[in-house]
Amino acid sequence: MASPVDQFKLKTLVPFEVGGVDLAYTTSSLWMTITVVAVTLFLTLSMRGGRLVPGRWQSLAELSYEFIANMIRENVGTEGRKYFPFIFTLFMFILMGNLLGMIPYSYTFTSQIVVTFAIAITIFLGVTVIGIVLHGFHFFTLFVPPGMPIVLAPLLIPIEIISYFVRPVSLSVRLFANMMAGHTMMKVFAGFTAALGVLGIAPILLLVALTGFEIMVAVLQAYVFTVLTCLYLNDAIHLH
Amino acid sequence: MNIRRVSSLSATAFLALVLLGHEATGASSSSGPKLPQLDLTTYSSQVFWLIVSFVVLYFLVAKLAMPRIAEVLEERQERIEDDLDKAETLKKEAYQVRIEYEKALSAAREKAQDATRHAQEEIAKRSAEAESAAQVKVTVMLEEAEKRIAASKTGAEGTSGDPISSLERSVAQEVVANAVQKLIGVDVTAADIDAAIAATLEERPQ
Repeated sequence: MASPVDQFKLKTLVPFEVGGVDLAYTTSSLWMTITVVAVTLFLTLSMRGGRLVPGRWQSLAELSYEFIANMIRENVGTEGRKYFPFIFTLFMFILMGNLLGMIPYSYTFTSQIVVTFAIAITIFLGVTVIGIVLHGFHFFTLFVPPGMPIVLAPLLIPIEIISYFVRPVSLSVRLFANMMAGHTMMKVFAGFTAALGVLGIAPILLLVALTGFEIMVAVLQAYVFTVLTCLYLNDAIHLH
Repeated sequence: MNIRRVSSLSATAFLALVLLGHEATGASSSSGPKLPQLDLTTYSSQVFWLIVSFVVLYFLVAKLAMPRIAEVLEERQERIEDDLDKAETLKKEAYQVRIEYEKALSAAREKAQDATRHAQEEIAKRSAEAESAAQVKVTVMLEEAEKRIAASKTGAEGTSGDPISSLERSVAQEVVANAVQKLIGVDVTAADIDAAIAATLEERPQ
């Protein structure tokens, strides 16, 4: 029987190499492309009518837009307006990637630690650069908790610095681990179903519930990833 | 800050557990499958296609999708504000109209009260007039009736000096004539009866 983690293996669809670096178009790349197409179609086709009273699809598109707009307004403030397109793209990309991953035989690229870490480290570096550009040396007061007694400084400042640098790791691992764990668990239960024959009805029922749960996780993790990005951005812009 | 720190630490711990757990199972079956996510040879292509997809999506969303959504939302916002403004002016207008209506209503009410009062006064005046006219008429009629009664009284008493009226006399004459005829079969003349009456009247104590 195939291992439950075999589903994360990548198949090379179009071999491609530049200067000895493997840039093959794989299943992961394919589903990234599908995500790009799906998000674009979703956001443009639904708004084609642009009706004053929106239909179902238009409502969904507007809802996503306003959801992120509100998230930025609440967590970052008006200065966050500039980063709206990036954060909206980020949210839609992760959300659509997670949701498309729920389709049987598809590939969930967010279950790849390298993908989530690449996004997270980009955000981390970007946010740090924004903070230093906005505040200069003053940015490093971010590591000094407000109202800290000076005696505790040797203890608290290292903790703050470590927690700051752990951010890209925690951000990427949270998404990756959730996606991987969910899909692995579903594969395990599917394996039980195949092995148990008639009695397999029990794991199937569980699998149905699990599928619903995983869809919730897919949406929730996209939200968590985005909201944390907003919080990091807020720290960089407003320090404390 | 604390919650975030705890969540980041727990996520790190989770990763450690997943990887360690995997290593443990991998160790138990030495030729067991490796976690495909840790296959470093796939990293370059994944990061490359991630960057390509994300950048393409960023431009599609930022330049194509978002302006359209913003436009529609703005249009709706404007429309709503417009409608609210319109509603506000209409409300003011309605308030004005209501005040005018109330003014007109109170004026009409006053007018109606006036009219009612006038009508009542008119009615009182007229009924008083009618009453006094009727009073006069009744008095006149009463007087006339009294006169008539008095007249008929004197008429019934007949000419002065005659102790009985001419009516009494004629009735007596007839009754006597009939009675005599029935009793004794004799016809008596009026003159005889007159004589008899006269005699009776003389005998009767006055």
